[in-house]
Amino acid sequence: MNILSLIIFIPILFGLIILVLPAGLRYIYRSVTLCATLLQLGLSIWLYVQFKTGAGFAGVNHEGQYQFVEKFHWIALNLGAMGKMQIDYFVGVDGISIMLLLMSSVVMVVAALASWEINKNHKGYFALFLLLDMAITGVFCSLDFFLFYIFYELMLLPLYFLIGIWGGAKREYAAIKFFLFTLFGSVFMLLVMVGLYFSVKDPATGYHTFNIIQMMNPANYDKDSIFGFIGTHMLLGMPARTVGFITLFIAFAIKIPVVPLHTWLPDAHVEAPTPVSIILAGVLLKVGGYGMIRICFGIFPEVATHGAFWIGLLGMISILYGAFNALAQRDLKRLIAYSSISHMGFVLLGIASQTAEGLSGAMMQMVSHGFLSSMLFFLVGVIYYRVHDRDIYSFRGLSNLMPKYTVFIMIAFFASLGLPGFSAFIGELFSLIGAFNSQTANGLLPTWMAMGASVGILLGAGYFLWTLQRMFFGELKIKGGQVWKLALVDISTREMLVLVPLSILTLALGLMPSLVFAKINDSVLAFVQFIHVN
Amino acid sequence: MQTTLLHTDPTIQLALLAVLIPFAVALVNLFLVKNQSKVSGWLGTLAILISFVLSAVVFSRVWNVGDLHSQWLWFTAGKLQVGAGVWLNNLSVLMLLLVTGIALPVHIYSIAYMQGDEKYSRYFAYLGFFCFAMLGLVVVDNLLLLYMFWELVGFASYLLIGFWFTREKAVQANKKAFIMNRIGDVALLSGILILYADFHTFNMVTLFDNHATAAFVNAADSTWITLPGICFLIGAMAKSAQFPLHTWLPDAMEGPTSISALIHAATMVAAGIFLLGRVYVMFSPDVLTLMACIGCFTAFMAATIALTQNDLKRILAYSTISQLGFMMMAMGVGAYSSGLLHLATHAFFKCLLFLAAGVIIHQMQHLKDEHQLDIDAQDINNMGGMRKGMPVTFVTCVVASLALIGFPFTSGCLSKDGIMVQAFYWAEGKSWPHFIVPVTALLTSLLTIFYISRLLFKVFFGEAKIKEMVPNLKTVGHDGGWLFSLPMIFLALCSLFPLFSFHPFDYSEAWIVQGFGIAVKAAGSISYETLVALTVNIFGIAIVYLAYTLYISRSRAIKQSGFLFKLSYHEWYIDWFYHRVIIKDVLRIGSVLSWVDRNIFDGIIHLFGSVSIFIGKITAWIDKYLIDGFINLLVTVVKQAGNFVRGFQTGRVQAYLLSMLLLIVVIYVLKTFM
Repeated sequence: MNILSLIIFIPILFGLIILVLPAGLRYIYRSVTLCATLLQLGLSIWLYVQFKTGAGFAGVNHEGQYQFVEKFHWIALNLGAMGKMQIDYFVGVDGISIMLLLMSSVVMVVAALASWEINKNHKGYFALFLLLDMAITGVFCSLDFFLFYIFYELMLLPLYFLIGIWGGAKREYAAIKFFLFTLFGSVFMLLVMVGLYFSVKDPATGYHTFNIIQMMNPANYDKDSIFGFIGTHMLLGMPARTVGFITLFIAFAIKIPVVPLHTWLPDAHVEAPTPVSIILAGVLLKVGGYGMIRICFGIFPEVATHGAFWIGLLGMISILYGAFNALAQRDLKRLIAYSSISHMGFVLLGIASQTAEGLSGAMMQMVSHGFLSSMLFFLVGVIYYRVHDRDIYSFRGLSNLMPKYTVFIMIAFFASLGLPGFSAFIGELFSLIGAFNSQTANGLLPTWMAMGASVGILLGAGYFLWTLQRMFFGELKIKGGQVWKLALVDISTREMLVLVPLSILTLALGLMPSLVFAKINDSVLAFVQFIHVN
Repeated sequence: MQTTLLHTDPTIQLALLAVLIPFAVALVNLFLVKNQSKVSGWLGTLAILISFVLSAVVFSRVWNVGDLHSQWLWFTAGKLQVGAGVWLNNLSVLMLLLVTGIALPVHIYSIAYMQGDEKYSRYFAYLGFFCFAMLGLVVVDNLLLLYMFWELVGFASYLLIGFWFTREKAVQANKKAFIMNRIGDVALLSGILILYADFHTFNMVTLFDNHATAAFVNAADSTWITLPGICFLIGAMAKSAQFPLHTWLPDAMEGPTSISALIHAATMVAAGIFLLGRVYVMFSPDVLTLMACIGCFTAFMAATIALTQNDLKRILAYSTISQLGFMMMAMGVGAYSSGLLHLATHAFFKCLLFLAAGVIIHQMQHLKDEHQLDIDAQDINNMGGMRKGMPVTFVTCVVASLALIGFPFTSGCLSKDGIMVQAFYWAEGKSWPHFIVPVTALLTSLLTIFYISRLLFKVFFGEAKIKEMVPNLKTVGHDGGWLFSLPMIFLALCSLFPLFSFHPFDYSEAWIVQGFGIAVKAAGSISYETLVALTVNIFGIAIVYLAYTLYISRSRAIKQSGFLFKLSYHEWYIDWFYHRVIIKDVLRIGSVLSWVDRNIFDGIIHLFGSVSIFIGKITAWIDKYLIDGFINLLVTVVKQAGNFVRGFQTGRVQAYLLSMLLLIVVIYVLKTFM
């Protein structure tokens, strides 16, 4: 078992421990979970440090350039005349996945620390939490489509229960909405996956394969297969490859989420308990962005180039739509949920620009948003845990009562609205550089689209500062009176332990973007080149 | 000029130190020094003093000697290598000196002014950070870094304007300042990125160094030069409070007065003019004309508003906007050097005016608290007769006011007359509408004389209004300690001509103008120098007399109900328009989209769900009544058939015999007759 598999399966190992521990020890479940996530984080950091860079380690469409690879035959069925059905256990990382892997390990630790507040059915909660952890980690490492799909679907199950059982008032509605939305996308993804399987042949063995990297090579496609590059197969009146791309795009666009496929997100984020909101916003949305890059753009690059205008437009619409909606919210958590939609729009815009800058920006934005949205949801959780209210108008002048808390809120807000020096600035900046540059570099996105997207930065300042002014500044005036005054104590040591590292991380990435860029650069360049060759 | 490495050039290192020391001390003040500790004030002042000395050294080594540039790699993204570096030329070293030169008296003044404040150390930490951001802005060599510091200046001003964050007005003001500036930031960022798309570099030395002008001149497609030019201009307009993005500046006075002094003089609003100066070569003639018009209009508009305001700081704020308009106009008409000279001279006298205002308001507040009066401490209608109690404040204030109106022997005379003269030369030879610009500027400078006279008369002359409320009051106010007076005297001396030129009247003799050397050549038929000087001085005396009759001898009065008065008093209804129209509409878009989200997008999902459930119900009905019904029917039929047949199974032999007989008979009948 190599280190990557170890990272993937550590949570499940600890999950088993939790399952066998008696219920009397339920208060150490959370420590066990924290241990699992910390161990995972330690290994991820080691992975990050050991990760080699250079043109020879770019990965993307060269199987040999992936690092920490583990590959063996997993399911082998002899189908007689149809050859051999072969599914591999195939994991490995390149520049596109390494940062997301590290980021998700950090977010998992944060979520584990936020889970301290869980107060019912501990065993179920922590077992599901660790199952989710495994699935998410698996998604970022899988290089076999079948394996990817299994991990991808496996995420849904624990999330459904985590929202549906430990969530807020409308939890059942939110859980079902989330589940059905995502399932809707992934069912059709299954069809495309099978179609791809029957179109691609492993040149070494001559059998069909689920290997994602081989799906990226046009030479591996059968001549008259359904998704073949030169094939003339039509589905629903469109070329089959276009249909395949759109199907995968919708599946991942739901995850990102892209307007108008986003309505599961505000409900799920708002109803989920704090740690699950953290995971949803911090990691799950990035699964969408990652899938978009690796699978959607990786397997159907020529369709992606063809449709770049529309993808970019959706990105711009998401940015503006999310921001305008955030302006209209009065529930703090909902506001942050909509701001997530807005910020993830930059990811889509960056990817759509298909320039090295844009793609770097999208990657940076994903990592940055992972940290920042965790921080934001954690901060909302702090208030909600104390007084069970999140309405912006229930609070005023909170900085008088919770000065330390206000400092962190200001860090998180200003970082999110793209203040230079913080990571989100670099992410948004490079997405925008890509979008502006696209006009001259490859002619995909017009300049007005980039300018429209930059208005999102302005609106971001609007809703964040307005919230700051309404909730935190001015004279102290809170809805719950004296009871709330006593309940609203400033942040505790455990909460500091979460907030300080996250603040430092977002500051560090903003000042030293090379912490991310140095690791992803070769892959990004290789990926852009790969797209343009096809 | 050549690009050097960091470690080889001591001047660059000194400049870096000058930038970083205030930041380091700000961090110390924020984290290490106890709140309310006196140490923080002296520490901050010491830092800015060191910074000032270093700036002076750097200045002496770079000014008119040669540019310096030093750069190192910051990070690489894709193939784009982003460098971080320092680019020192005449403009940036002048700004270094100016910013630290203004920040130093402000620091000293703040020690006394902020005494006893709950967040004394925090104040000096923010102040240091503010200076750091501004100093960083003026030395960086890279557009991305420039943008970063540009935003940090805005962020620092956000912290300082909202320093007393329990006041609702203060937090409204800092939000407004940040968002207004964000509009400019977005434009600036767009401009930077469009330039990048064209030239593939963020390096300002490559882009804007005088030798690189060729890049812009030869650019094939001129809209791609005009467009970023306009973007940069909008950025500068927001920072330098030009119409229509100026409304944040009058509100920004909600911060401590010492901060207003800094913002209005050398840090925040100067950034916009500095930006224009730094990237001057990229502006096409169209953009320059636009710049001149905006500057001229802003100068005029702000001056008319200042005529009727009653809040001391608000008058000064509009005065700043007006003077910034002059600078913007100077840049637009090509009077580059005079614009920057005005930036420098204005910094001193405006800073002084604000510091004086701070002392006056301090005294009024003191009186208000002492006698428990229900008055606005900043309203000039409550002041009067203050020259007796506060001679230092009075004298320095008069010097600053004279400089503001461009009175001979003050620094303002050099810079402001220069701008107007060159504006005339600019209009000369162009079509007649171009003359609107210099004529309006001339008119504006007359308005300036009126509003500043009004301010002086109302504050310092006449009888103290406060005595009407408190009859036994002896003197109104006093100057305060040396920590107040020293900075003001220093600034007053700097508002006189010798600092800038040995010749008190000829602006072209000023060393700043000679250092930049870009001026509109005197080629006209009329000597505009004389015209401007005569107009300003002759009409000036008349206007001062008019103000005197209005406010002191009260032999005349102004009708306060006319349309023009209302327009001026309500600040041209611009803020009203923003609140009623723009902000409201943006929020309305937000709520409409939120409605769309809940009802249309979610509605579609719910419809989808309802339809699915409906289909499910239909299938359930079909399942229950048709499919199950069919099965049930079959069952019933079979059951009934069984029941029917069962009737035959009676167990009696006779019955069986009967049925057998019947069967046989039937068969027989059928066989026989068919």
